Amino acid sequence: MITATLSELADSDRPNRKIDAFKTEVAYELVASWRQLDFALPTVLFPAVFYLFFGVFFGKGSGLATYLVATYGAFGVIGTGLLGFGIGIAVARESGELRLKRVTPAPPSALIGARLVTALWFSAVVLLELFVIAAALGDVRFERGQWLGLAGVLLAGTLPFGALGLAIGTHVSGKGAPAIVNLVYLPSAFLSGLWIPITMLPDFLQNLALFMPPFHLAQLALGVIGMDAGYPWQLHVGVLAGITVIASLIAMRGIRR
Amino acid sequence: MTTPTANEPLATPTKPPASKRLATVLGLGVFLLLTITVMLLPTPAHQVDATPDGFAIVGARVFDGERTWERADVLVTQNRIEAIAESLELPTHIETVDGAGKTLLPGLVDAHVHTWGTARADAARFGVTTLLDQFTAPEAVQAARADREAGGATDRADLFSAGVLATVDGGHGTQFGVPVDTLEGPDDAVDWVAARKAEGSDWIKIVVEPGWGRQLATLDPATVRAVIDAAHQQELLAVVHVSRLEDALAVVEMGADGLVHVWRDRVPDAAQVKMFRDAGIFVIPTLVVMEGMVDPAPSVALAAGSLGKRLSGTQRDGLARRFPESARVDWQVVVESVRLLAAAGVPILAGSDAPNPSTAMGLSLHRELALLTTAGLTPQAALAAATSVPATQFKVPHRGRIVAGAMADLVLVDGDPTTDISASHRLAKIWKAGHLVDSAPGKTEPLDTNVAAAPEETLLADFDIGLRSHFGYGWVPTTDQRMGGKSTVDLTEREGALHIAGEIRTGAMFPWAGAMVFPGDNPMSPVDFSSRKELSFRARGDGRQFSAMIFSGKAQGIPASQSFTPGDDWSTIVLPLESFGGANPGMLRGIAFSAVDPPGVFWLEIDDIEIK
Repeated sequence: MITATLSELADSDRPNRKIDAFKTEVAYELVASWRQLDFALPTVLFPAVFYLFFGVFFGKGSGLATYLVATYGAFGVIGTGLLGFGIGIAVARESGELRLKRVTPAPPSALIGARLVTALWFSAVVLLELFVIAAALGDVRFERGQWLGLAGVLLAGTLPFGALGLAIGTHVSGKGAPAIVNLVYLPSAFLSGLWIPITMLPDFLQNLALFMPPFHLAQLALGVIGMDAGYPWQLHVGVLAGITVIASLIAMRGIRR
Repeated sequence: MTTPTANEPLATPTKPPASKRLATVLGLGVFLLLTITVMLLPTPAHQVDATPDGFAIVGARVFDGERTWERADVLVTQNRIEAIAESLELPTHIETVDGAGKTLLPGLVDAHVHTWGTARADAARFGVTTLLDQFTAPEAVQAARADREAGGATDRADLFSAGVLATVDGGHGTQFGVPVDTLEGPDDAVDWVAARKAEGSDWIKIVVEPGWGRQLATLDPATVRAVIDAAHQQELLAVVHVSRLEDALAVVEMGADGLVHVWRDRVPDAAQVKMFRDAGIFVIPTLVVMEGMVDPAPSVALAAGSLGKRLSGTQRDGLARRFPESARVDWQVVVESVRLLAAAGVPILAGSDAPNPSTAMGLSLHRELALLTTAGLTPQAALAAATSVPATQFKVPHRGRIVAGAMADLVLVDGDPTTDISASHRLAKIWKAGHLVDSAPGKTEPLDTNVAAAPEETLLADFDIGLRSHFGYGWVPTTDQRMGGKSTVDLTEREGALHIAGEIRTGAMFPWAGAMVFPGDNPMSPVDFSSRKELSFRARGDGRQFSAMIFSGKAQGIPASQSFTPGDDWSTIVLPLESFGGANPGMLRGIAFSAVDPPGVFWLEIDDIEIK
């Protein structure tokens, strides 16, 4: 990639430069996201509000409250990944921001990396809210290792969906992005059993879930708390890794366009 | 370009602006906070009775759901039954429970209940570890569903349910305050069944109930047939509530899978019995709820025995409630019908219809077992009716049997219920999913127990001094809004009497609206009226039947009530305190004068209320 070569040249006198550029990008990306309240608020609040409604009011003290911590956690991190990347990149691309950034010394990897860290940051906020509500209001109790595992699996889950968002965001217009991203996000969340347990869906929809990316993240998270559907974890990890690779390839083609 | 990231020069990172420093702090702070929170989040309290390696029940007689082993060992690992054999080689360190002189049964299944509140815990205390619910709000089903799939350690019974029932607008099932999606005709059937399935219904329940004495709207035959067909197309069972033999025969012909009550009008002839047998239909007679209509004494006696200590205050109040006089069954017809069905080989399932009046969740299934034996079932067949038969008929997996791989829902009783069914009362230990169930009822909200002495005066209120009472805290309006209902009431003093006017609206399980008076200094503080004999008052009303209710005793619960129907003109009504079944005048907390069902506007005037 030509840009990479250029920045390598620019970096030759200061080895810290790439890291500085990355840190700067992260900081401004975060500030920019906070200022975009119409993105930040729904992303941060929806999973917690849904959980309050379905998990706490309907399921307090029951298995439902427990199950939904994992699935609304997945719902939340998938949102930050898909929306942050999908809509964010599409808008940045259309506004010319991406082109402008190309002339800065920051390499493209810093741009993508900064967005990923931002998405992770939002994921962390979502999980923080969800865990506190689940424990305090939903009477949910996990072993320490399970709480840690749930946080780890879900934070890592931001990556494949960030890649997926990136693939979409690099191919659609800024105006079209919210519609298309939500078209992918909301139905697949429902069909993956993120809102209500998958066993409550009709059989043909249950079979469909295997083809939904969120299903695989949710199953990994549910596996941590022993409430998964019993598929081997390698299947879920494989699917998510596959999604990450394929989506990244598609995204790279989009970026080169 | 106006995006905040684009207009800062990246090449001069010497002095970061404030916003960047803030971003760094907040950015790192959230991850740190998440880590700290995760380290502080609560973890489960570890049960001392938890036996991760399992335990074994050794040397008990075992009824496995279908047959009796005179002696067997049963090994439980976590929540499952690992093995059953006449004799097992057990690892030396494993915890054992001595079963000598005892009988081990599968956790009991009650095939006809309605769940709300603490029903699942109430049932488990009586060894009923699986509830097949024949109508409740879908939210209750959804909350319970994850529990039964997780199969974790719990003190609560598993719940399988029909969810919302199929009936017409204004028909049986719409009077309880649970919102019911009613059907208008056969064309609604497919969508209606699909909606139940989406809500989590495990099967479909249909009401065919033209009324008991009075006329009641009910589904027409074409719609019943369409719902049964739609249920079968969508791979669900269709069970039907009937109360007349002719309706039972009609729905059997339509392909129904089961009846959730036995009819109560006449005994079938041999050809009709053969029809039921040949159709492969099953029947849940619910004898105990029908017995409650003619003679609640046996259930009351059961509560006085060893099972009584497992009852909560609310359950006791439920047992003390009575059906209205209009609810009648011909007991001989009911028992004889069940006898003929059982003799012909029609599968009979034990169900209590708790928590209807004069029943209690859990307890009433033990009475049902005894009643099934009076209807000709052997004790062993009665036990099968409460274990393997409902599991098979309702396709409930891993329950109702003691076999390797089944859920470790187990009941250990003293004696031998396979020959003497009353031994089912002598509960020694109950396990739900391998977890030992606590037999003590949960604590209800504590009430003030400092009983005040009764005042000299017998006149509580005559409304010549406004709405105040002569002693005690005085009058307040009371409605079902407390329980999520929508009924309204207004209290006014009119010509020296209390004028109570309002409207009963559907919305609560038991709608009410009226006036309540507290004889103690504070609301619900108890007063000792044990030396008094009667509640007397003058009343006139709009012709509707009203209820006088007494709130009393140590715990919160459903009040004891007596109905009265005052006419247009003032008359004096005298209700002996002992006629309020279950009331404790020695701890009288409140008296209410209320309108109850049916919905509609009402008025009632009362005056000169005396406790004498």
